[in-house]
Amino acid sequence: MIFQTRPNPLEDFLNLLGFWDHILTGFITMIWLYGIALVIGFFLGILLAIIRQYGGKVLSQVSTIYIEIVRGTPLLAQTLLLFYLPTTLGIPIMGWEVEFNFTFLEKDMTLTLFNQAIFIGIIALSLNSAAYQAEYFRGAILSIGEGQIVAAESIGMSRLSGIYHVVLPQALRRVIPSWSNEATYLPKYTVVVYFIGVKELFREANYIMTHPYIAVTPLTIYIFIGIIFLIMISLISKGLDILHKRTGIPGL
Amino acid sequence: MEVLKGISFKVLEREVKVIFGPSGSGKSTLLRCINMLNPPDKGDIFLRGKNLNDPEINLNAIRARIGMVFQHFNLFAHLKAIDNVSLGLRRVKGFSKERARAKALETLDRVKMVKWADHYPAQLSGGQKQRVGIARALAMEPDVILFDEPTSALDPELIGDVLQVMLDIAKSGTTMIVVTHEMGFARAVASEMIFIGEGVILERGTPQHFFISPKSERVKKFLEQLDILYGGHDKLLQHSNGEGSK
Repeated sequence: MIFQTRPNPLEDFLNLLGFWDHILTGFITMIWLYGIALVIGFFLGILLAIIRQYGGKVLSQVSTIYIEIVRGTPLLAQTLLLFYLPTTLGIPIMGWEVEFNFTFLEKDMTLTLFNQAIFIGIIALSLNSAAYQAEYFRGAILSIGEGQIVAAESIGMSRLSGIYHVVLPQALRRVIPSWSNEATYLPKYTVVVYFIGVKELFREANYIMTHPYIAVTPLTIYIFIGIIFLIMISLISKGLDILHKRTGIPGL
Repeated sequence: MEVLKGISFKVLEREVKVIFGPSGSGKSTLLRCINMLNPPDKGDIFLRGKNLNDPEINLNAIRARIGMVFQHFNLFAHLKAIDNVSLGLRRVKGFSKERARAKALETLDRVKMVKWADHYPAQLSGGQKQRVGIARALAMEPDVILFDEPTSALDPELIGDVLQVMLDIAKSGTTMIVVTHEMGFARAVASEMIFIGEGVILERGTPQHFFISPKSERVKKFLEQLDILYGGHDKLLQHSNGEGSK
């Protein structure tokens, strides 16, 4: 029923553009979740990789187990688990939210940057991304070789200082090409927050699609969303390429 | 597995000890024990009367006083030559940026590498890398510098420059423990040579002792082999120094 053909694709597309405010807020919400999760996942991932590599027997095991559990279970399951955890444990649900109401080009828009669902979504995406990023970082650290940290220690630097001043600057440069995988996967994974009620791009698409008296076909919407992602991810990919070249050092 | 057994020797200030012996005999392990990169399971190491095996001791502070030059250079790949030398000065000795830079340049000058100060390790030849490695250790002004086969990963034509630098710093009064098979170098500056085989000291003595009348057959054989392989450098060093016996 939903996929019945429409007589005029152009009209259909114009109808979709009429919802630009919804697409815009959905897009911003998605970028917001993506950006925060990527950054938190980045630092957490570095920490996990360093602990796994240099943390000693016990801590290294803990880090490994964390990474394996996260990578071995579905992101959707993790998100829903975290979403239902507070109620199950009897922790009161947060009532507060950060919301912007504004009028732009004669459209009244509501942009929610923070509420319980978004908070849970950010945590889930960050914890998940951290595990994947940790493995990219660990690979880069392994590729550097033991000799570098031994040399740092031989001039009296502490292990931590050696990791910070010698291992990380090299690992971070080397990791960019493989890490770009995670940076380009994550925007697409943000869709899981749809299932806990965050108004991101796909939820807005659903809203547009089921609008009672303005008709837009799913085909139009999803092609449009696909193009948005394609452009955005091409830009991210290109940006990381430039970063890789800019920060490059001969021999690294 | 026991690698080193009952090895005991003393290094005085400004002395150059040369340690040599067949591969797998524990020479590198010995050096890594001395600067506590591989702390020994048993036995004591003293640096100016301080026992390094004391669990209370700050190993990082100790390592800052024991320089190390590696067989494979181990230069920090992301840093220019000058920054390789100044990193320890800044992060360990707490030098200011300018002071560390000045000291690094001065040290690079001692190893004749000032011209390459702004080159990254990948842009240097093996011999140049090793000279930066020596400068990195030297700049910290350690009590002793350990050399772990510093020339054995180098192309033959690059060895001379590195040995020359090592001779210079030996003559300037740096205390050195050198694991090497460069007998020309040993002959020129070693105050004592120690032959290690299977983890024990098989023979020790002055270079004259070793080159004129080594006692054990094992050492004699080893030196003959070396002579076939490395004989050429002796002449080179004698030439550049105008000394050395024979």
